[in-house]
Amino acid sequence: MSSRRSRSMQSGSSRITEDQITDLVSKLQRLIPEFRNRRSDKVSASKVLQETCNYIRSLQREVGDLSERLSELLGSLETDSDQASIIRSLLM
Amino acid sequence: MTPPARLNASASSPCRLRTRFVLRFLKTLVKIKRSTPPPPSPSLSLTSSPEKIGRHSQRIKLAAYSSMARAVGQRRAWSRALMLKLKLSDKRKNRYRWLAARKMKQQKTLRRGCGRILATKRNRSEKGSPSRSCSGVDELRRLVPGGEAMDLGVLLEETAHFVRCLETQVRVMSIIADCFP
Repeated sequence: MSSRRSRSMQSGSSRITEDQITDLVSKLQRLIPEFRNRRSDKVSASKVLQETCNYIRSLQREVGDLSERLSELLGSLETDSDQASIIRSLLM
Repeated sequence: MTPPARLNASASSPCRLRTRFVLRFLKTLVKIKRSTPPPPSPSLSLTSSPEKIGRHSQRIKLAAYSSMARAVGQRRAWSRALMLKLKLSDKRKNRYRWLAARKMKQQKTLRRGCGRILATKRNRSEKGSPSRSCSGVDELRRLVPGGEAMDLGVLLEETAHFVRCLETQVRVMSIIADCFP
């Protein structure tokens, strides 16, 4: 917490107030699926940040898994099949 | 709804970011597909080596992130940092390693933010630092590209946009993957 205050004191031109930080944290909280249904006053900022990190990591893991799946699918894709024509029609 | 109609519906929706990402990503996928030498016989395609699949999946993953970063463009700090980072790591594969190494030293802060995106399964254990005793903010700085150099307020805004873009990316990729039987 003290590091946050010292950081806001150091940045001269763009002074961030505590209210702005709270607003931004609550905006983040609305994005995280775990907290979307809970009331905002029950969740601390550090918990929001922690859950955000976990959520970002899980999304990146999903991207990795999906790209593995896509690479296997691409490998089995024939060049003149229906799927290829779907992709071609989307790109034109 | 047939899969092509689903994808076309997203193209006509007001979600222009998703459209831009989808178009770029699909173009890159076609490029990757074209650069793949076709297997000599159909039976071999099923038994492609795990190493080849791993390399391909890494290319596809990088294509997804770079398509998303380019779809966002210069508007966001994280997309600028990610594009720069991908360009530098691409240069590293070429022969101008000394130039890239010099730039890497200057952009050391960018590296830390993008380690997870560039890590493959093989070196993930070396690069990942799972349980360091630091606050949530430091962890977030490492996850968001370019996060090390940001103020806290900017970091939180960039995180929100980054999370939304990651969700879009995952949704689009899963729709594409579901297109195929």
